[in-house]
Amino acid sequence: MTMTMNKTLPILDVQNVSKSFTLHNIDGRTVTALEDASFIVHPGEHVSLAGSSGAGKSTLLRLIYRTYSITAGSVKFRLTNDEWVDIAQLSDAEVIALRGREIGYVSQFLHAQPRRSVIDLVARAGVSRGMSIADAHEQAGYSLARLGISRTLWDVHTSVLSGGEKQRVNIAAGLISPPRLLLLDEPVSALDPENRERAIEVIADLSDQGVAVLAVFHDLDAISRLASRIILMSRGNVVTDGPVDQVLPQLTPGDVQP
Amino acid sequence: MTSIHVPSPIIQVRNLGKYYGNFDPAMIERTGPEHGTARDHVTASIVAAWGVNFDVAAGEALGIVGESGSGKSTVLRCIAGDVAASTGDVRLAPFEDGNVNILDLDPSARRQLRINTLSVVYQDPAEGLALGVTAGGNIADPLTAAGWRNFGAIRDRARELLARTEVPLDRMDDIVRNFSGGMRQRVQIARALANKPPILLLDEPTTGLDASVASGVLDLIRQLLEELQVAAIVVSHDFGVIEMLTERCLVMQHGRVVEDALTDQLLEDPHHPYSQKLVAAART
Repeated sequence: MTMTMNKTLPILDVQNVSKSFTLHNIDGRTVTALEDASFIVHPGEHVSLAGSSGAGKSTLLRLIYRTYSITAGSVKFRLTNDEWVDIAQLSDAEVIALRGREIGYVSQFLHAQPRRSVIDLVARAGVSRGMSIADAHEQAGYSLARLGISRTLWDVHTSVLSGGEKQRVNIAAGLISPPRLLLLDEPVSALDPENRERAIEVIADLSDQGVAVLAVFHDLDAISRLASRIILMSRGNVVTDGPVDQVLPQLTPGDVQP
Repeated sequence: MTSIHVPSPIIQVRNLGKYYGNFDPAMIERTGPEHGTARDHVTASIVAAWGVNFDVAAGEALGIVGESGSGKSTVLRCIAGDVAASTGDVRLAPFEDGNVNILDLDPSARRQLRINTLSVVYQDPAEGLALGVTAGGNIADPLTAAGWRNFGAIRDRARELLARTEVPLDRMDDIVRNFSGGMRQRVQIARALANKPPILLLDEPTTGLDASVASGVLDLIRQLLEELQVAAIVVSHDFGVIEMLTERCLVMQHGRVVEDALTDQLLEDPHHPYSQKLVAAART
């Protein structure tokens, strides 16, 4: 599998990326959150970011999504026409266009309009990525059912859902007609064991669909089941990058802290 | 340039400026964020907004955020035509294919733009509505200005708009002054949308409403922006409003744009000291 995977072109090429924050209102100090990170991701690969709290895992996801500006280095992304673009150099309007169909970000929180129904929310996410309304509704229903959201909840507003239900609706919306690169920031953190299991199965399917996934999970079990590769980070640096069977034994419970 | 498809701009603003008082080129250098004021100490002129540049595409809402006196409403009012800009170039794609700087138009041509190209929703419904007139009458006004003559058709359109903005239809023939604040704001939105303008300018649209009423109005605006694919500018001091409605925004201070960014980036990673101060204040 690794052989065929590496014959395809990478989709993401992160080179020497650093991030620092200048805190103007707290004595103007500069805080470095990430230093000189480099790695590549191929389509269909599931790369887990591991490391203790403050290692820079979420920072890295936010930099790629450009929720954080990139202080130095390049984040090259391959478009469907094989053109490479540097996310660090794109205009805000170009980033918005990429976020629509190419790059997705799913966190543990649902950011939804309060008065939108569950099924509508998920279907709209599909439509925004080019699905027809009919296909999107059908797929939304299928995804929600797989994630254990019962049909009786499909037409209620998302605001009345429990935390765990919101989280699963968020996964359904993030994964419908999936973008080519998905950034997952602890997407299953608040789920009970049964629903967590369902979510992990849905996330595992992404790799078969050729989606490149870069993910932060807070437990070794999810990493061992989903990841094809692990990038271990410490204090804003990449310390190890290798196949899951090589890196997993090196991890300690402290390396998967949120 | 990359091959990423970016929608073409509907609103294009270049070097927009407005000052009050006499003009002295040096006063531009003597005012702004580095000087902590928009008022020039030599001429006593106010540089309310200067050097403002941005584009807004169809289906996009651009936020302008800042404290009162930052110049954000001035920018919106210069585009709307409520305030005469001192300088600048503003083009609207739906008007003469964007070949005309609307700031050069005479007042009657500017008013014409307000009928079917550009609508404004003000913080104070009294600015956007005739309070002594019924809800239906307020909506009929822009329709008749646009040439509608059939009474039944006007009533039908008014009904449709009030239903869409969730104003009870049995209030259609009541005078707007007797409406609650939230309901007045809904009527103002209905009126603004009467002629399906491709451009919508919103000036603090939920400020002054009770929290629960504000969230209902905000929700309505968000749905309408999504549904109608208009190009919108949203001016607000409230990051909650900016976060809910916009994907990109400008931060203004003392009449200048100090930062422009993706909205999530502004909230998570603000760069300018003033933006950092505003975001920190909004979080506490």
